[in-house]
Formats: sequence, structure tokens, C-alpha cells
Amino acid sequence: MDKYISILKIGFQQELAYKLQFIIGRLRNIIQILVFFFLWSSIFQTQDSVFGYTISSIGAYTFLLIIIRSIVMSTKVNDVSGFVSSGELSNYLLKPINFFKYIIIKDIPVKLLNIGFSAVELTLLFIILKPNIYIQSDATQLLFFILSIIIASFIFFCILMLSNSFPFWVPEAGWGAQFLIVAIFVEFLSGAFFPIDVFPTTIQNFLKLTPFPYIVFIPIKTYLGNMTIYNNLQNMAIGLIWCFILFLLLKKIWWKGLKVYEGVGR
Amino acid sequence: MDKAIIVDHLSKDFFVSEGKKSISDAIINLFKKENKKRVKALKEISFTIQSGEIVGFIGPNGAGKTTTMKILSGLLYPNSGFVSVLDYDPFLKSKEFLKEISVVFGQKNQLWWDLPVINSFEFNKAIYEINDKDYEKSLNELVSLLGVSELLNTQVRKLSLGQRMKMELIASLLHRPKVLFLDEPTLGLDLTAQQNLRDFIYEYNKKYNATILLTSHNMNDLVDLCRRVIIIDGGQIIFDGPFDEIVKKYATEKNIKITLSEEVKISEIEEITKVKKYNYPNLTLSVPRSTVAYVAAELLQKLSITDLNIEETPIEDIIRTIFKGEK
Amino acid sequence: MINYYLKIWLLMAKNSIYAWMSKKETVAIFLFGKMVRYIFYFGFLYFLVSKSNGILGFSANQALFFTATYTLVDTLGQFFFRSVYTFRQFVVTGDFDLVLTRPINALFRSVAGGPDPIDLITIPPIIAVVVYIGSLLNPTLIGVVYYLILVINALMISLSVHIFILGTGIITLTVDQLVIIFRDFSSMGRFPIDIYKEPLKSVLTFVVPVGIMFTIPAKAILGLVSPIGVLSSVVFGIALFILSLKYWQFALKKYTSASS
Repeated sequence: MDKYISILKIGFQQELAYKLQFIIGRLRNIIQILVFFFLWSSIFQTQDSVFGYTISSIGAYTFLLIIIRSIVMSTKVNDVSGFVSSGELSNYLLKPINFFKYIIIKDIPVKLLNIGFSAVELTLLFIILKPNIYIQSDATQLLFFILSIIIASFIFFCILMLSNSFPFWVPEAGWGAQFLIVAIFVEFLSGAFFPIDVFPTTIQNFLKLTPFPYIVFIPIKTYLGNMTIYNNLQNMAIGLIWCFILFLLLKKIWWKGLKVYEGVGR
Repeated sequence: MDKAIIVDHLSKDFFVSEGKKSISDAIINLFKKENKKRVKALKEISFTIQSGEIVGFIGPNGAGKTTTMKILSGLLYPNSGFVSVLDYDPFLKSKEFLKEISVVFGQKNQLWWDLPVINSFEFNKAIYEINDKDYEKSLNELVSLLGVSELLNTQVRKLSLGQRMKMELIASLLHRPKVLFLDEPTLGLDLTAQQNLRDFIYEYNKKYNATILLTSHNMNDLVDLCRRVIIIDGGQIIFDGPFDEIVKKYATEKNIKITLSEEVKISEIEEITKVKKYNYPNLTLSVPRSTVAYVAAELLQKLSITDLNIEETPIEDIIRTIFKGEK
Repeated sequence: MINYYLKIWLLMAKNSIYAWMSKKETVAIFLFGKMVRYIFYFGFLYFLVSKSNGILGFSANQALFFTATYTLVDTLGQFFFRSVYTFRQFVVTGDFDLVLTRPINALFRSVAGGPDPIDLITIPPIIAVVVYIGSLLNPTLIGVVYYLILVINALMISLSVHIFILGTGIITLTVDQLVIIFRDFSSMGRFPIDIYKEPLKSVLTFVVPVGIMFTIPAKAILGLVSPIGVLSSVVFGIALFILSLKYWQFALKKYTSASS
């Protein structure tokens, strides 16, 4: 449909118009991942395995981190809190298109660009570091992997949108809430900063009941493939339940938010 | 359908947090829940607008004009009362509803800042599902009317304020909305552009039988376009009727403009009537309607006058008086 | 003169505090967020290092001390030099003209103009943590002295970088991106930069002076830095500072006042 194509077009054009922002975004990503990789490498200089990870499995984890972050976590949805506090949201509310649909579709070009760049970065890293990369060949596992990525993106989207809804009630706390929830909780508990299984089992099990690990850690683990079918199904089930809960919550909060929305700038 | 806009006993409250004056207030504020003050922005207002009407909405700042427009366009949620625009409940924001309306607010830009203007227009074309023919027609019409055809490929960022406003207007009208909400549409435009815009709005209204609700502080807008005027103040409607009735109802005085041939002391004039402005040889007097003929006659007798004109109080003054609460 | 600037700084600080107090939810959220982040960083690192053989031969406490030092310098830097984040606004809107025409040094105003009160709350605990972990390392007196000198040096380097960025901001208007890049590179200083392989390590030593800012002071307390090392670091810091001031003067000459 023309509508959706024009949103994709605008999304692309916007990303290209802000090239510097984009490059810096990639740079930040790379730096974070380099820190991750080198920290673990330095540990492996004096021993072979820590918490069940070896240098090659950490290498695999790193690579997957790059890919998964670019698919799941590259987004422009973090602009929404700014729209709400400044009143710019009004422009979107007046257009004959569902706002959620709009921002999800507008994110597609962002994700595609980021995936493209991460592919380049991965190739370079591959050439420089030459790690052992485990290529998943089991079709069922790959299917689970794809499903886990979809679940991950959706959960991340819902959590991000919920954080971006704070300005409806607290206009000044706009990006504060985002900072707390996304930059800190999601970053740390999703497996993006360190693999969740460095925690003791009880904490791990507790975390697996929250939506966070499903954003990064579960997809990575699913790809690496050393889980039983039962585990996979269990993960997908919990992931889907969270998708459902978060989406309902989001719809409700957003509806309430619109009722209190004043449309005035700060 | 006859009635394009129906508003019945509409109320809207806002909750405003009080500013803190001193540091100690601010510290206390840190520890207890804030008391927000309830401000009644709209107090059970009611009015109806028929299809094809152009209605002027006037009121001092903070009176509730913009709030009303935002409720009618679905942005704000009414606290109580009934609102219907083209038979839709605006707040539900159905696509069909949104395709029929357009809002042009002063400071808001809907155009993509870093992209050429035409990209934003094409985006709207797709979003509003305008077909190619209608799009070409509307675009050419609007662009030539506002004189911006060479600027279509310029980035919005690089346009001047006036040019940007014209582009915003075009973007808002491409889909030929049936109901237009215009908030200060001529603000920032030069005089020729203002007149062009007024002519355009008039033509648009005639051609498409569009319903137009317009707020403006520019009297020319109101005089030229609005046969009907709603005056709102403090969240209440204090006048709703034909434009000329304002004069009849509120203008209790007329102005007498005199050119003197001989200078005279102010005190002498003031024996006859109130002096509004005296700058020899020009003299302006304010006289109650009922006595204007009598006063004029007296003046002609007592003063050396070359020229005398009796005028209505300018609309601006009338409206200013209304807002001040005088009658 | 010092009194003048001190008084002004206190006034600006008070204004910032006052502005922040009216947004108490924001204060609370950020404070909580920062606390959680520090706990996560330290907790994870402690976990990791104590369950393994350490990082490159550094013990758990030593590794934590590197992170603590980074946190200290980074937070102090953010506290003192916070105004750079609003600098772009100034230049774009032309408000910078007002800054330039006031009898207060424009550089001072642009850099130190708005300390973040949240950091006022977070800095004392950070200092406490640094002192505590430091004490667990049984440092020598000279080690501590070196550490203090090098931390101040690190702040001077941080200031210089900020001045470079501001100067570039006057000319090109890209302030925020540069600050972000700088902070991101700095974040690599959370761990001793020896963990990074070449050429990254050299970049972090010579291009963005992360090594000198974070790794060297921490190493000094462990007795790993020679007096020559301390001296050359300080010389570098001072040289950078002087260069940055010259650059600022140069940038001012290039300033084209923005119109609306």
C-alpha cells in the first residue's frame, strides 16, 4: 500500500539526512561491544573457561550481540517521549494513520540500515580477529531463533514505548524514565552487557520470568543451539506471554495518556 | 448533513502545578505530593456550526479558543459534554474523520525539517490517500496561489518563517478537508500574502462548501471572512451571532472625527463632550450613540470646523472593551 | 578575582539546584538510575573477577579500583563541565552573543555554567567508595600523592578536551556529537586499557587520552608508575590545557554571530 511505502521512504530519507547521528550511533555500539569482548578476552588470558564460557563461545556471543542489537534494538521510538512533552505528538495524532503502525513501520529502514552496517562491521571483525564462529545448521533451531528475534523486537518495542509514555503524566521526566528503564534495566538484564548465566541459577530463573532476557540473551542462546526442544518451547511460551501482557498494558496506558494529553509544548 | 459541528455543554479542566517561590518551598515540594490547581478552561459551552459556515472564534489569550479547537480535532479529551464533528466523535480519531479535517496551528510544524518540502507533500498524499489527479490539481492550485513554486525542492530548514508557514498551509490543504480549523493563519505573512490567503479561504469555502473555524487577532481576517463570530472569554461564550450585531450590541459609542480650522482649548471641548484624542488640527471624540447627532450639532455651532465625520468605534476597540468586561 | 568567579560559580550552582528541585520526579529517577547502574557495574565486575583469575593479573579489588577511579573522574568532569551540554543551544540561538558581551569570561560561563545537583548527591558516595577500595590496596603514601596529582591532572585533561569541543562548537555547531564520542571512548577507561589490543590501545593512549586520565592514576596507587611517568603525564595535561585555550581564542575569532 502506498501509505506504508511512503512511511518507509520517509524513514530512509530521515536516516540519511542525519548521517552523522547514525555513524555515531554505530560507533557507540561498536565501542560497547569492544569493551565487552576485550574484557572477557583479558580474563581468558589466564584461564580457559569462566562461568561455562570459553574464548570462542564468548566470541560467538559477541558476534551475535552485534547482530541482535542491530535487529532488535535499533529504533527511533525513543523520540516519542520528546513528541509527547513538546506537543509535537499532535501532528501525528491528526494524521489518518494509527500512530503505533506508523512508528513501527518507520523503524524498518532504521533497522535495515543498522543490520547492513553491522554486517560490514562483523566482516571486518571477522577478518581481524578470526574467531571461531558457530554456524547454526539445524533448521528447527534456526526457526526458533527467528521466532525469538521477533519476540525480542516486540518486547523491546513495548518496553520502550511504555518508558516513552511517562511524559503524558510527568512532562519533565521524559527521558529520565527512558534512561532508567531502557539504558539501565534493559541494558543490564537483557544479556547485552554480560551473559545472564554468570548469575547464580536462582537469580537466572528469576530473571527468566521477567521480559528482559528475552530481548538479547534468549535469542543468542537459541542460536547457539545447546538447548532441548522443551527448553526452547518453554522460552518461546514465556516470551509470547510477555508480548501479550506488555502489549495490553501498552494499549491501556497509551489510551489513558491520550486522555490527559494537553498538546502544549514545554 | 446540516450540522458540521455540534458542541453541547462541553467542559474541560486542566490541572496546573503551582510554581515554587523560594528555596524552602522547593525543598518542601521535594517531599510531599504536589497539589495541583484545577483550572476550568471550558465551562459547559455550547454552539452549533452548519456546513459551509465560516465562523470566527475570538477571545483573549487563555480564553479557551485553542482548547476548543483541540477538542474538536480530537487532540484533547473533554471532561464532560457532547462533541460531534461531521457526525464523528473526534477523540476516537477514526481515519475517515481525520481525512476530512485539517488543523493549522501557529507554531507547529508537520514538515520534515531536513528534507525538501515536496517530500512532505508526497508523504501527505500517501497518508491521506489522495489520488494522483486530485493531488496535482490541489498542489498546483495552492502553490501558485501562495507563490512558492520555486521553493518546492528546498529543504524546510532553509525556508524563511513566512515561506514555511505557506508550506505548512499547503500541506494541510492537499487533501481538501471538509472542516478546517485555522489558528492564526495570517500570522507572519506580509500584507499581500494575507489578502491572498483570505481570498483563498473564501474561495475554498465557496467551492467545496468547507466548514471553517478560524481564530485570529487580525481584524481584517474577521471582517473579510466571518459572517458569524463566537466570542469566548474565561471559558464561556459571551457572544455568538452575526458580526454586525457585535457593533449594535456592544458599541455604545460612536466616534466623531473633526478637522478644526481654529485652535481651541481642550477644556472648552470637554464642556460639550469627552475628548478621545486631540492633535491640532485633528480631534477625535467619543460620544454615546443616542446623543451623537445632538453633540455633533453643538460642535458645529461652537467650534470652527472644516470637516466632520461620524464613525463607528473600530471593531478592535469594541472587542477590547468586551474582554475588559465592560458593556 | 578568584572571589568573583567563586561567587558567580556558587550562584550558577544555586540556580541549577533550584531549577532541578522543581522537577523532583526527574531528580529521583536519575538518581535511582545512576545508583542502579553503579551497583550493576561494580557488582558484575566483582562477580566476574573474583570467580576467575582476575583481569591480567589484577585482583578483584584492584580491578574495582580502576572502575571506581573512572567513575570518580567521569562524574567530577560531568559535574564541573556540565554546561557544554547546553552550549549548542547558546550558539544556535545567538544567546552566545549575550555571553560574550557580559563581563564574565565566556569560557568559564560556557563550561562551568550549570553544575548538575544530582552529581552533588552522587559524588560523596563515589569518593567514599574510592577511598574504601583504595584503602584495601594498602597503598604507600607516595602512591596516594601520585594518585591525587594524577586525578587532578585527569580533570585538567577533561577540561581541555571540553574546551576543544566548545571551540569546535563555535565554528561548526557540532558539540553534542563530539561530547558523546568523547564520553564513549572514556567509558573504555573503566578497565585498565591494557586489556585492549593494538591498535586500539594506542588510540586510547595517544589520540583520546583515556589511558592517562583513568588507567595511570589507578596504576600509580598500585605503585606501578615511575616518577617520570607521573611527571610526563602532568606535563601532557598542562600542555593540552594551554593548547585548548589557544584553540578557544582562535575559535572566538571565527565566531559568526547567528541570526534567528
